[in-house]
This record gives sequence, C-alpha cells and structure tokens, in this order.
Amino acid sequence: MSWQAVARKEFRDAIRSRWLHGSTLFFALFLGGAAALFFGVLLGPESRQVSNLFGFFASLGVFSFSFPGLLALVLGFVALSTSYGSITEERESGSVKLLLSLPNSRLDVVVGKFLGRSAVVVAALLVGFLATFVVLVATGTRLEILRFSKQIVLTWLLGTAFVSVGLCISALADSNREATLATMGLYLVFAVLWGSISEGIPKLLNYAAEQVGMSVAELTRVKIGVFLKYLNPLKTYETLAAQAYYPVAQARLVSTTFGEQAVLAPVLQGNPPFYFSGWFLFVVLLAWIVLPAAVGYWAFERADL
Amino acid sequence: MVAIELDGVTKRFDDVTAVSDLSLTVEEGEVFGFLGPNGAGKSTTINLLLDFVRPTAGRVSVLGHDAREESVAVRERTGVLPEGFDVYDRLTGRAHVEFAIDSKDADADPDAVLERVGLADAADRQAGGYSKGMRQRLALAMALVGDPDLLILDEPSSGLDPAGAKEMREIVLAEAERGTTVFFSSHILEQVEAVCDRVGILREGELVAVDSIEGLREASDADATLRVAVGSPVGDDVLDAVRDLDGVRHVERDGDDAVRVGCDSDAKTRVVSAIEERGVTVTDFTTEEASLEDLFLAYTEGDADVAAPVSDDADTTGADATDAGSDDADAADADSDDADAADADDDAETDDADSTPAEGEVRR
Repeated sequence: MSWQAVARKEFRDAIRSRWLHGSTLFFALFLGGAAALFFGVLLGPESRQVSNLFGFFASLGVFSFSFPGLLALVLGFVALSTSYGSITEERESGSVKLLLSLPNSRLDVVVGKFLGRSAVVVAALLVGFLATFVVLVATGTRLEILRFSKQIVLTWLLGTAFVSVGLCISALADSNREATLATMGLYLVFAVLWGSISEGIPKLLNYAAEQVGMSVAELTRVKIGVFLKYLNPLKTYETLAAQAYYPVAQARLVSTTFGEQAVLAPVLQGNPPFYFSGWFLFVVLLAWIVLPAAVGYWAFERADL
Repeated sequence: MVAIELDGVTKRFDDVTAVSDLSLTVEEGEVFGFLGPNGAGKSTTINLLLDFVRPTAGRVSVLGHDAREESVAVRERTGVLPEGFDVYDRLTGRAHVEFAIDSKDADADPDAVLERVGLADAADRQAGGYSKGMRQRLALAMALVGDPDLLILDEPSSGLDPAGAKEMREIVLAEAERGTTVFFSSHILEQVEAVCDRVGILREGELVAVDSIEGLREASDADATLRVAVGSPVGDDVLDAVRDLDGVRHVERDGDDAVRVGCDSDAKTRVVSAIEERGVTVTDFTTEEASLEDLFLAYTEGDADVAAPVSDDADTTGADATDAGSDDADAADADSDDADAADADDDAETDDADSTPAEGEVRR
C-alpha cells in the first residue's frame, strides 16, 4: 500500500496552496474572533463559559440559529472546496498520469487523497481552535474541557465528511467545471434546501395516502420529517454538538420548528426511539465520511483516464 | 521472457476505435520503438499497458502480470514517462522524486536521480516554473527511480531541444545496456532508428508492420539502388555478371555512361568490383536509398508496395545514426555515398552514432 505516499504528496502540495493559508487564517479569525467578541466584550465575567458560545442555540420556531450550525456551514464550504477538485484537476492537467504511472493503486489514490485533504482541513480547523483556546485562557473563560473536546472531535469529523463528499464529486465528474457546478448545487441542497425537502416528503406521503383513502398519522409524519432532517450532515453535527452541552431531548430539537417540537418533545422525553439516539446519529455522521469516499473509489476504479 | 504481450486487443471510445485487434510481443531486454503518426493509437496502447484505460476486448500482459488485475505489480517494476502529463506546480523537483521513491518504496537518493537527468540545479525550485523540457526530464527522473525492469516512454523527446533529446537517447541506451526493456513511442523516425532493436508501425489503430529497421527496409523493397557511372558503354556480359552476384535483384543501363543496380547495401562493393574486373572504368558511383521517412510514410499513408521511393543522395538517410546496441542494425552501413569503394565497405554504424549533427530531421 502506498496511500501514505499519496497522502504525504497531497499534504505537501496543499500546504503550499494559498487556499489553505486563506482558510487557516479564516478559521483563526472566525473562531478566535467570535470567542474574543463573546468572552471579551459581550458577556460578563460570570457567564464566561465555552457553552455560551459553542453551545449557543436559538430556535425561533420557523428559523433556528446556532453557533455550531454556523461553524458547520462554513466548514462544509471550506472542506468541499478543498477536495472537489482533487481528482478532476489532476485529470485535467495530466498529473494523474504521473500519479498512476507510479505503483499507486486507485484505492491508494482515493485513500491518500482523502487523508491528505482531510489533514489540510483539520489543520486549518485546529489552528482556529488553538486561537480560540488562547482567547479562552486570556479572558478567563471556563473551559468545560470535556464538552468542548467532544465538540472539537465532532467538528473534525464533519470536516472529513465534507472532504469525502467533495472527493466523491471529484471522482464522478468528467471535468473540473462539472465538479464545480455539482459542488455548488450540493452545497445549496445541504445548506438551504434539505430542510424543505425533508418537511415536504412526509406531506407528500400523506397526500399519496389520502388518495387511497388512508392517512399518515401526524406523529409519524413529524418523526419522518425530523429524521430526514438529521440525515443532513450539517444537522447531524449540529444536534450532536448540542448533545455535548445539553440533554438528548433538548439536543434533538435544535433545528426543529415549533410545530415539530410540540409533537416530538413528549416522545423524546424518557426513552427516545433509537433513530433519534446520539449513537445512531453518530453512525450517520461516520457514514457521511465512509460512503461518499467509497462511491468515489467505485467510480474512479472503473474510469478510463 | 516476454516483457509485453498484447493479444487481440481492441479499445473503443464511444464512437472511435483507437486500437483494433492489436497483437504484439516485446521480449525482455529489447528496445522496441512504437511508430505511427499522431492519432494512430500509440498513446492508447501505452495507456492500456498501464491500466490507464481498459481494453474493450483482448488481453494485455506486462512483465508476466495481467495489466488490468495486477497493475500495481506491473508499475512496481516499470518506469513511465507518460504523454500529455503535467507536474505538480507547487511541489519542488526534489519533492516529485521523493514522491516517486515513496510510492515505489525504493531506496534512492533524490539528488543523484535529478543529477542524472540534469536537473540538480533546479531541484529546489517549484516544478510549476519548469519549462516543458525540464518537466519532461523530471518525469524521466521519476521513471528511473528504483531501477525499473521496463521503461515505457511515450514521445520521450517532445519538448526537448536537440541536446536534451540526445541526453534522453543516451539515458535510454544506458538503461538498455543494463538489461532494461525499453518500449517507446514516437512519431519522429530518427529517434526510433537511433536506439531501437525493433520497431512496430501503427496506423489507424492497427499494427501494419513489426520488424527491425533493416527488415522493414527489405520488406518494403526500399533499399539501395546503386548508380555506377562508367567511362564507356557496358556490354550485356557485364550486366549478366553483375546480375549473378549475391544480393543483386535487378540491373539496367542508365544511358550509355551508367548502370543502375538494385541491390542490398552490402553488395555494393561487389558490384563495383565486378564491373571493374571486366575492364570497365568506373568513374563514379552513388547510392540512392529510400529514406526511412519515405518508408515510414509508405507504411502509414499508402501501401508498402508503392514504397521504394528513392532520395537523391544516400547520406540524407541519417542511417549512420543507427544504434550501437542493436543486433539487427548491422546492415545499416548505407552511409557511403560519393565514390570511394573502400569506404563502401566500412561498417559505419557505430562509433559516430552520436555525432549525427541534428536530431529528428530528414533532409530530402
């Protein structure tokens, strides 16, 4: 296996890219800046604790906002941008011929690229968290180190999930242009459309059932809708991050509407169904890391260069 | 041992058949030149060897491994200079070679490899700033890492200046000397001629000829025609005597003061001697020989039978660039030209091979 060689090459290449320098600086300013703003300016000394920023969730019913959600949006974009060209660019320039004339298998290439590009994203992210850490210490903020570490690991995983998605696009696309468009389209789906789609599907099911004289119970509809919502890696991350700071029942409702909350809250109290449990959603997050890369490998393995 | 074996290989892209029912065997230790005009299917064939593309039909095996299933095993022992490749702009020359060393799990000194291809001075520069020729050298350096058993070079001297092409040729020859099998493609005849044991000519995806260069020359009836200028008209007896010589195919008068003899290159001296022995004064003689370019064009454009076009002056063939390492190249002593019969004997194939003035040109 020479995936290490490919991963090292990817990293050495990317570490010199302005994109990496830019995204590292961005994360440092974004995370460190937000921490400085909150803990240095906005919050009084008594409320200076990590969860007041990194565990900041506000649900306005139809619209919810959270700091982890914002971080996820930004990170998803950065990670996709880092990886969507990883194969198409090499195919277009022809450097893929150098890559594959060496004894690297196509699996080595996919694994190596995934690891190398993930390392790039994670490095940028960690620099950002390091900046945050400095601010936290400087402002005398309570670290809540266990909860915060959980969130850092989840953020790390989310970054690699989007690297994986980008890599998948890159393997499937015929050209860099196609990969760019597909990435933009997919980002739009994840960031904007997913919610409407997952609310629409149960309504559609109900409509279909009504046509044959049946109906789907409201509770089932809500469960399906919320379940679909959390399959979106951005939301999977958001609710898991919430769970690092709050009880499950509360964490599962972070990106639901008031209507959904009213129906679902009693179900989540006590013993929530397994598909709303933390470990299940954690598996969903891991699947977003593994499956896209696997599909990418499947496509790349079959492709003529 | 067989280094490369293609068996009934066809490759179709959507609506284009790039390679059609190609069967070819290259023995280990051989230097094999793959000739053909642009678009003939050379690169596709090479891409098939490396599993860059997969055959529509047929079987490809390289160094005893199936090119599809065991491609990594193939590439572990193969050095490749691909066509239409590019370097990683942000990585230095040394980083490229280190990547090759890493991938091949080889034990090599990057600087020594770069030195060998003449890039030692540029080792620490980002390859994005390299010229086309430097990129070509860098890829060659990567190919040479780990002392491969097989070198596959696709249009190796494209982008190189004459000196670079010469260095490239010397490296190829040195590798061949070491026992490495070399398979390379070119659309420029002289490069192939200068280093190859055998050549294959590809045209529109089909292999139209495989032979040594001399073999091809003979096969296409395109070898020397000797024009002997004589002081006085020659009789039929002289013509008959010449006709009986070994290696002579036809004899005819060319006016009153000359004779034209179609013969093998090595029969020229005998022809001149035979005429002189019969009391005819030879005032001058010239060899008119098909240039390899004519030969090549005959194979790639028309049919081989109408080949045999001749050039005006034998030394335009560039035949004296014939490879020293070649077993088959012996008969290529067709350099001789003006008169001196002693010279015609001279086996000029070897020593001055590198002194050929220009790369890749045929004057006509």
